[in-house]
Amino acid sequence: MNMTRSEVLERLQEIFDDIFLDEVVVTPELSAKQVEEWDSLLHISLVVAVEEAFGVKFRVGEVEGTGNVGEFADLILKRLNGTNA
Amino acid sequence: MESLKANTSTSKVSSSRIGILKELLATKDSAFWQRLAEFSNECHSFSEIIKLSNLRKRANTIDFGPNQGTPHEEFRIAVVGGSTLYPLSELIEHLLAIEKGNVKLHLGNYNNYRAEITDPESELYGFDPEIVVVLPDETTCKYAGDLTDSAEAIATEVERYANETLSLCNLIRQRSSAEIILCNFGPSPYFDLGQLGTKHPASDWNFKRSVNLALAELAPNFVHICDLEFLAYRTGGLVARDESSWFESKQLLSPVLQVVLAREISHIVCSLKRASKKVLVLDLDNTIWGGVIGDDGLEGIELGDTSPRGEAFKAFQAYVQSLTERGVVLAVCSKNDFENAIEPFRKHPEMVLREEDIVSFKANWDPKPDNLARISDELKLGLDSFVFVDDNPAEIEIVRQFTPDVTALLLNPDPSQFVPQLKESRLFEVASISIEDRSKTLQYRKEAERRNLLETSVDMDSFLGSLQMKGTVKDFDRLDLPRIGQLINKSNQFNLTTRRRTESEVERIIEDPDFTGFTMRLSDKFGDHGLISVVIGKRDGETLEVDTWLMSCRVLKRQVEEAVMNELVARARDFGCSRIKGVYLPTAKNGMVKRHYPDLGFSTIREDDEAGEYELSVDGFEPRPTFIAIESTHAKL
Repeated sequence: MNMTRSEVLERLQEIFDDIFLDEVVVTPELSAKQVEEWDSLLHISLVVAVEEAFGVKFRVGEVEGTGNVGEFADLILKRLNGTNA
Repeated sequence: MESLKANTSTSKVSSSRIGILKELLATKDSAFWQRLAEFSNECHSFSEIIKLSNLRKRANTIDFGPNQGTPHEEFRIAVVGGSTLYPLSELIEHLLAIEKGNVKLHLGNYNNYRAEITDPESELYGFDPEIVVVLPDETTCKYAGDLTDSAEAIATEVERYANETLSLCNLIRQRSSAEIILCNFGPSPYFDLGQLGTKHPASDWNFKRSVNLALAELAPNFVHICDLEFLAYRTGGLVARDESSWFESKQLLSPVLQVVLAREISHIVCSLKRASKKVLVLDLDNTIWGGVIGDDGLEGIELGDTSPRGEAFKAFQAYVQSLTERGVVLAVCSKNDFENAIEPFRKHPEMVLREEDIVSFKANWDPKPDNLARISDELKLGLDSFVFVDDNPAEIEIVRQFTPDVTALLLNPDPSQFVPQLKESRLFEVASISIEDRSKTLQYRKEAERRNLLETSVDMDSFLGSLQMKGTVKDFDRLDLPRIGQLINKSNQFNLTTRRRTESEVERIIEDPDFTGFTMRLSDKFGDHGLISVVIGKRDGETLEVDTWLMSCRVLKRQVEEAVMNELVARARDFGCSRIKGVYLPTAKNGMVKRHYPDLGFSTIREDDEAGEYELSVDGFEPRPTFIAIESTHAKL
């Protein structure tokens, strides 16, 4: 289960391809503001899709605390590694 | 349970489903739509349905024939409620689009449903929905008083709360013509009060369940309850909720339960205008008993309380027999010598099913599709109302290939699963149960006897005369609504226009002065056929247009058509109409009534592939003679 950050980003690209109707290129700097389709509603589906794909469960509020896809990937890695912090 | 299993399974299957569809889409292969429907129906993962929905949307933007085979009429559904309704709405939209083609969805705002419902100018009504789904605010469904209050005070509050919820549904009904799907309340699955929570009527657990019972009891017939409590129980209470998503996006239901709920809502919508199955055809060996009767003999088959397997087969028989109370008729189709096959029905002490429970018994060595066609002919019921169950995959396959209208179910290898499997197929769900249903088996058996008589009486007139038929014509009666609704939604063959209506739509016809609706019952010396014909006429100036004319096929060629015709002319005269207009809308099933109006003396206005229109002048119409003694009660005027 030891994924690297770039492997997480690759997997995220696959999920983005299926969840967004438009083509979105995943980069660590990408944020919701830059993608027109990525509104608060689609965000709900995206987070559930990520949780199902990685088999993780985020804690309340913590996805909101990530500023871009890179930080989101770090959060996924943190939950994957089961750290209690 | 199934959804959980699917959810934790590897994502390999799901990505390959999506992969297959992407491939088909890239090559613009029209097989895309069928696979999309299959995958959507078998998939339980939230994110996978979202992905399937996206693929559907993408496919709709590409020009390669959208959703072939499904009607393109727009279907409008609104979802309002006390939580954030997206992404549930997305799931509902997708599952309905798979069934209905073109779906338009209106989404209420978070917890704004009371205002949306009470304001007659709201967008909800501007949208003119056919169905409104109401998912009420669960957080207010609790007892606000003291735990020390009297049981009476709490019971009063339960009823008040249920009535308040239903009054919102009534408002929707008054302001639109929509049918309403009301979700009930899911009690919290967490321990809280312990023993006291079990006993105390004001505990969350008991209060919500009491409200749910009150809703079921008080709901009018245009409110269809979507049983969230049951769905959460089925899914597993702890898995059904998602605590963090309430705080993040005001959603109470976990993604898993949202899928289950969306599927149920889609099922309710589709079953409002879809007939349930009428005939269950059973294989015998290893289906209703264990072993092979031809090899193992009467003493050798496994059946009854002496072994676990025997007990399971017996339980399956008992469930099958209970289906006859809903109006399902039973038939047998087995590869066996007849004498061997019938023996357990006559002699085995543990058999629940007896010879008289089976309306048509085919045990021979002909291919099963041939026998199914014969049963269909005998019962005058279309093969699309048939369900066939067998333990042998080869038999299921041949039936699927040669009689594709029959729904063929391959039984699970474990006989203890037969009953759940049949229940989960949802093929025999009925909206209501009428008294007629209970005596269906008897009626079909009588029909077989009548046919024997028919074969010997060459002279049709003296045969009909000998039947001593009595007919009762009556205006639509509220007591008959379940049966009228059933006929309107089930009849396919003798049905001139195949217009489906819900019970409450029928009820509105009773009130409308421009409509006349009547039914006919028929009995004869062999027994009562019950309510067998439904007619709806609509006044349009000087013309009475026949909106609906249908009849149960088991009274074909009994002069019911002529008797109804006489009644129709009498009603046209009462309405002051000089002309009756008849319409025939052809379907795959109703070819038998193609010449109905010309045969009754109507002249043709137009006739093409889409419709036939016919007219008859009321003046000078001579009532047609029949052998039916008619009693008519006509109260509307």
